[in-house]
Amino acid sequence: MFKLFRFMKPYRLLAIISPIIMAGEVTGDLCLPFLMSFLVNYGVMGENIRDPEKGSRIALRLLEFFGVSPSDRMAVIIAFGAMMLAVTLLGGFMGTLCAWTAASASQGMGNDLRRAAYRKVMSLSIEQTDRFTTGSLVTRMTNDITQVVDFSESIIRHFVRSPAFFIGGTVMLLRLNLSFGVILLCALPVMVVLMAMIISKAVPIFSVVQDKLDRVNAVVQENVGGARVVKAFSREEYECERFDKANRDMRDTTLRVTLLLTFISPVITITMALATAAIIFIGGWSVKIGDAGMTVGAVMAGTSYITQVLSSVMMLTMIFQSVSRAGASAKRINEVLDSDPVIKGGSLEEGDGSAAAVEFRDVSFSYPGTTGRSVLSGVNLRVERGETLAVIGQTGSGKTSLVGLIPRFYDCTEGEVFVNGRDVKEYDLASLRKKIGYVMQKTELFSDSVENNIKWGKPDATSDEVTEAAETAQASEFVESLPEKYGDFIAEKGASLSGGQKQRLSIARALVRKPEILILDDSTSALDLATEASLLRALKAKHDDTTIIMIAQRIASVKSADRIAVIEEDGSIRHCAPHDELMKTSDTYRDIYASQVKSGALI
Amino acid sequence: MAEKNERQPARVDFRPGRGGPMNARVNGEKPKAMLPTLARLFRYIGRSRIVVIAVVLLTVTVTILEIYGPKLQQQAIDTFSLVKNADGTSRLTVDFDLLVKKLITLVAINLAAGLISFASGRMGARLAQKTVYLMRRELFEKITRLPIGYTDTHKHGDIMSRMTNDVDNVSTAISQSLTTLISALLTLIGSLVMMLSYSWIMTVVAMVTIPLTVFVSSRLAKFMRKYYVANQVLLGRLNGQVEESVTGYRTVVAYGREDAEVGKFGGISSEYRKSSIKARVWGSVMGPVMNFLGNLQYVLIAATGGYLFLNGRLESVGAIQAMLQYSKHFTRPINMIANQYASVLTALAGAERLFEMLDSKEETDEGRLTVSPEDIRGDIEFKNVDFGYIPEKPVLKDLNLSIKAGQKIAIVGATGSGKTTVVNLLTRFYETDGGRITIDGYDITDLPIETLRNTIAIVLQDTVLFSDTIRNNIKYGKPDAGDEAVRAAAHTANADSFIDRLPDGYDTQLTESGGNLSAGQRQLLSISRAVLADPRILILDEATSSVDTRTEMHIQQAMVALMKNRTSLIIAHRLSTIRDADVIVVLRGGRIVESGSHEELLAAGGEYYSLYRNQFAGIAT
Repeated sequence: MFKLFRFMKPYRLLAIISPIIMAGEVTGDLCLPFLMSFLVNYGVMGENIRDPEKGSRIALRLLEFFGVSPSDRMAVIIAFGAMMLAVTLLGGFMGTLCAWTAASASQGMGNDLRRAAYRKVMSLSIEQTDRFTTGSLVTRMTNDITQVVDFSESIIRHFVRSPAFFIGGTVMLLRLNLSFGVILLCALPVMVVLMAMIISKAVPIFSVVQDKLDRVNAVVQENVGGARVVKAFSREEYECERFDKANRDMRDTTLRVTLLLTFISPVITITMALATAAIIFIGGWSVKIGDAGMTVGAVMAGTSYITQVLSSVMMLTMIFQSVSRAGASAKRINEVLDSDPVIKGGSLEEGDGSAAAVEFRDVSFSYPGTTGRSVLSGVNLRVERGETLAVIGQTGSGKTSLVGLIPRFYDCTEGEVFVNGRDVKEYDLASLRKKIGYVMQKTELFSDSVENNIKWGKPDATSDEVTEAAETAQASEFVESLPEKYGDFIAEKGASLSGGQKQRLSIARALVRKPEILILDDSTSALDLATEASLLRALKAKHDDTTIIMIAQRIASVKSADRIAVIEEDGSIRHCAPHDELMKTSDTYRDIYASQVKSGALI
Repeated sequence: MAEKNERQPARVDFRPGRGGPMNARVNGEKPKAMLPTLARLFRYIGRSRIVVIAVVLLTVTVTILEIYGPKLQQQAIDTFSLVKNADGTSRLTVDFDLLVKKLITLVAINLAAGLISFASGRMGARLAQKTVYLMRRELFEKITRLPIGYTDTHKHGDIMSRMTNDVDNVSTAISQSLTTLISALLTLIGSLVMMLSYSWIMTVVAMVTIPLTVFVSSRLAKFMRKYYVANQVLLGRLNGQVEESVTGYRTVVAYGREDAEVGKFGGISSEYRKSSIKARVWGSVMGPVMNFLGNLQYVLIAATGGYLFLNGRLESVGAIQAMLQYSKHFTRPINMIANQYASVLTALAGAERLFEMLDSKEETDEGRLTVSPEDIRGDIEFKNVDFGYIPEKPVLKDLNLSIKAGQKIAIVGATGSGKTTVVNLLTRFYETDGGRITIDGYDITDLPIETLRNTIAIVLQDTVLFSDTIRNNIKYGKPDAGDEAVRAAAHTANADSFIDRLPDGYDTQLTESGGNLSAGQRQLLSISRAVLADPRILILDEATSSVDTRTEMHIQQAMVALMKNRTSLIIAHRLSTIRDADVIVVLRGGRIVESGSHEELLAAGGEYYSLYRNQFAGIAT
C-alpha cells in the first residue's frame, strides 16, 4: 500500500494543503456549539457575561469587537447568529476547497498510477499476460486502482477530519466541564468495540457475496449465450434449478451481511442517547451540588460535542475497515507494477537482406511454467524470401507455437530463430515486429470504424492503401456493401460480421503494413475455398517478395504453397516439401490427405 | 449544526457490487408510465403483505419516538431554572428528581426506538432479499421460456444488467425507499405539529428556508447528476479500452501498437481525472450548502425565539431548544425525500424494463399430441416453407424438402443462403412464416416442444459448454446416464483420450464456458454430448470446423456409426464432410437450386460441381 504512495509525490503539496484547509473547516464546526451556547446563555437566557463563573471573556471580546452592547439581548442574539452563519459559510467554503484539493491530489495520483500500470501491462511479454489472465488484469487496472484512489482520497479528507473532530471535540468537551470527560471515557470503548466487532465480521463476507454474484451472472450468461443448446436438449428445468441454487446462495449470503449490518444503527442510537442523557444528568447533578460553573448553555453544547466525538469515532472505524480492502488492491496493483517484461529486445534494426527470411535452427519449445513434453522439438526450417510456406499438422501439434517464435511472442527454449540472417533476440522488438504481418487464429477487431481497424496495422496509411489492402484481402466487396462502407462502425468486436468477414478484415490489417513476412495462423479457415483461392492469388500477384507462412488445415489451402512443413505429433518437422513430394514421403501428410479426399475422386 | 451532529446515523450503505453512494441517482432516468408500473410493483410487494405492513408500522412507531425525543430533552433541560437571588444576581437551580425521571424516559424511548428500528431493519433486509430472489427466479424462468429470437436480438449485457442492477434497484426501492419515505413524511408532519405546539410564529419562520432548501438541493442534484453521468461514461470507455487491448494483447504486440494504445489510454485516463475532480467537488458542495441553510434556519429560529422570549411571549428557553431540535428534523426529511425520489424514479425505470421482459412473448408450446420421442422414425418434410428474420428480408422462399427416416442429408451453400435457418425452423427456435414442417407426418407445431426437441440432438459450430464437470456436460442431454454410458460416448467421439489425460478426468471442472479447453477439445465434448443423447434426428451445424482434419477423420468414423439408423442433417462448408451424404441439397438465396447424391450432382455439372471444383481445384490438377 505505502509503496503506491510514491505516485502521490507530484501532488504532495495539494495532499498536505488539503488537510490543513480541512482543519479550518473542523475549527469552524467546533466553534459553532460555542457560539450557539453564547447565543443561548447571553442572548436568550440573559446571563451575566461578565460573571466570573458563568461569564465568558471570549464572548465579551467578540461582542466588543463587533461593537455590540452585552446588555442588548436581541443584538447579542443577532450578533452571535451572524457569527454562526459566517463561520458556516467560511467552513463550507473551506470544505469545498478541501474536497477540490483532495480530489485533485488523489485523482492526479490515480491518473498517473493508472497510466503507469497500463504502460507496464502493455510492455509485458505474452507469457506474463497469460499468467495474470486477461480478466484479472482488467480488474487490476480498473477496480483495484479505483479502490486505492478512493481510499487515498478518503484518507486525505477523513484521516484528518475525523481525528481532528475527535480531538477537538474532546478538548472542547473537557473545557466545558471536566466531568463530561468521564462520559466520553465510558461511551467510547463500548462504541468502538461494538462497531469493530460488527464490521470485522461483515467485511470478509463481502468478498463471498461478490463470488456468489459472479456465480449468478455466470449461470445467466451461459443460459443467454447457450440458449440454443439448453432448448435443444430441453434442459430448461435443470437450468432453473441450477440458477435457483446460485440465486439462493446469493440471497443467503447477502442476508447474512445485511443482518449483521442492522446491528450498527441501534448500537449508535442507543449509545448516543445514553451519552446525551448522561451529559444532562451530570449537568443537573453539578447544579444540585452547587457547582456554579455549570450553565444551561454548557449542557446543551456538551450534548452537541459528545455526538460529534462519537460520530467521528464511527467514521474512523469505517475507514479502518477500508484499509484492508485497499491494501489487498494495492498488493494486486504492485504485482503488475513490479513485473518486468521477460522478453527484452536488442538494438538491431535491419538484418541481412540476402539471407533467408526466416530460419529455425534446432528449435525446441515448451510453454513457460509448464513441465512435460516440449511442444516443438529439434525443428530445423529455412524459409526463403518470397517463398510461400504452409504449415500443417494436428490440433495441438505446435503450429501456432512455431510461428509465435518469429515475432518473439515467446522465446524458444533451445536453439535459435533467425530473421534475415540475424537471431531474433538481437533485434529491437518494434523493428522486428514491424517486418511481420501477423493474422491471428482468433480474429481481434476493435470497436472502431472498418477503416480504422484496417489502418490499425499502419496508422498513417492513406485511404488508397486501405482500399488496396481490403481488395487483396477479398474484403472490399462486402465492405462496399456496408451502409457506410469503410466508415461503418464495428460494434462489439465485430459481432455483426460473419467469421469470414472478420478474418478478411484482419488480413487486410496485416497487408496494409506491407510486411516482409506475412503469417496467417489458420486465418482463412472461415473462408470458402473459392475466396481463399482468390485471396492467395491476389497475395502472390501483389506481394511477390513477401514471405508467407500460412497455417491451415485444409489440404486444398496448402496444396499450392511452394513447400509444406508437416508438424508431427511429437512436435518435430521431418518433412518439408511440395505437395507431390510429400505424397510420396510423408505418412502423416498422406493421412491428412486421405481424410479429406477419401475416395480419391477427381485424381 | 444542521446535519453533522445528527443523532440519527447516516445509513450505512455498503452493499457489495456497487459503485459510489451516488449510484442510485447516476442515471437520472425517468419511467415512461409511472402509475401502472407502480401499481404492478405494489402487487409484487403484496406477496409479502404482512411483512410490509409490519415494517411500515414499526417505522411509524420509531418515527414517532424519534419525534418525541427532542421534546423530552427539552423538558429535561427545562428542569434547570434561573432563580433571582435577593441581591439581584441570579442562580441556577434544578429540579433534580424531575430531571432524572425525564432522562430515564429519554433513554427508555431511545432504547425502544433503537430496538424497534433494529427489528424493522432485519425484517426489511429479509423482505428485500426475498423479493430479489423471487424476482431473479421469475426472470430466469422467463429467460428459459423466451424464444431464441429474443436472445438473438437483445444484447446479452442488457439481459445481464436487468438480472442484477435493475432487480437490485427495485428491491432497494421497496425495502428502503418505502420506509425512508414514510419516516421522512411522518417526521415532517410530526415535527411541524410539535413546532406548532410551541410557537406558530417560530414555525412560520422555520418554514421560510424550506423552499430555498428544496430549490437549491434540486438544482445541485441536477449538476451532480450531469457530472456523474459524464464520469460513468468515461469510466466505461476506460474499462473498454483496457478490456479490448488486454484481450487482444497478441494483436497489439504483433502490430507494435503498445505505445499507441498507451497514448489512447492516457488520453481517456486524463479526461477521466478531470471529470472525476469536477464530479467530486460538485458532490462535496451539497453538504456545506445544506449546512448553511440549516444554520440559517437555526439562527432565524434562535433570533425569533429570543425575541419572543424577551418580549414575554414564550415562557421557556427549553422551547427554543426544542424548536431548534425540531428544525433539524425538518430539513433532513426534505433532503431525504428529494434523494429518494430520484432513486425511486430509477427503480421504476428498472421495473419497467423488468416487466417488459416478463411480458415478452414466450415460445408457443401448444402441441398436444402424445408421441414418445422413441417412437419417432424421423421422416422430415418441409412444405412450402417461407421465413424471414425480419419481414422485409425473406431468408427461405417456398422451401420444399423431404428427408426419409435414416437418411443422411447435407445442406451446402454460401454464407447467408439459409442453411442454419433450416435448422432453426426444424427445432422451432423460430416459427415459420408460411408453409409447414412435419416429422413422421406430424406438424411440428402439434408436437409438444419437449417431445420435438428430445428427438433431435444438435452440435453447433460455437460450442456451448457449462461451468460444470466434464461428466455433467456430456450427460447434459441425458441426465440419468450412467458413468459407463458417459465413457462410451466420449470414446465414440474420440474425446476419451484427452479427458483421461486431465488431472481430474471426467470430474474436471470446466471454467466459465469451457475456457480451459482448446476449441477442438470443446467440440469433441459437445459431440460426445450428442452421442450420449442418442436422438432420432441429428443436426451437425458446421460441427467439425474447428477440429483439425485428422481428428475430424476420427470423429467422422464415429459419426458414420452414430448416423446409422437416424436422420442426419449436416451443414458444412467443408465438402469432405458431406460427400458421403445420401442427399446433398444446395441452397442459394433461400431456395433449393440442386439436390442429389455427390456423384449425381457432380455429373450434373451445376452449382455443386463448381463448389466442388473450387474446393479441390488444387488437387484435381
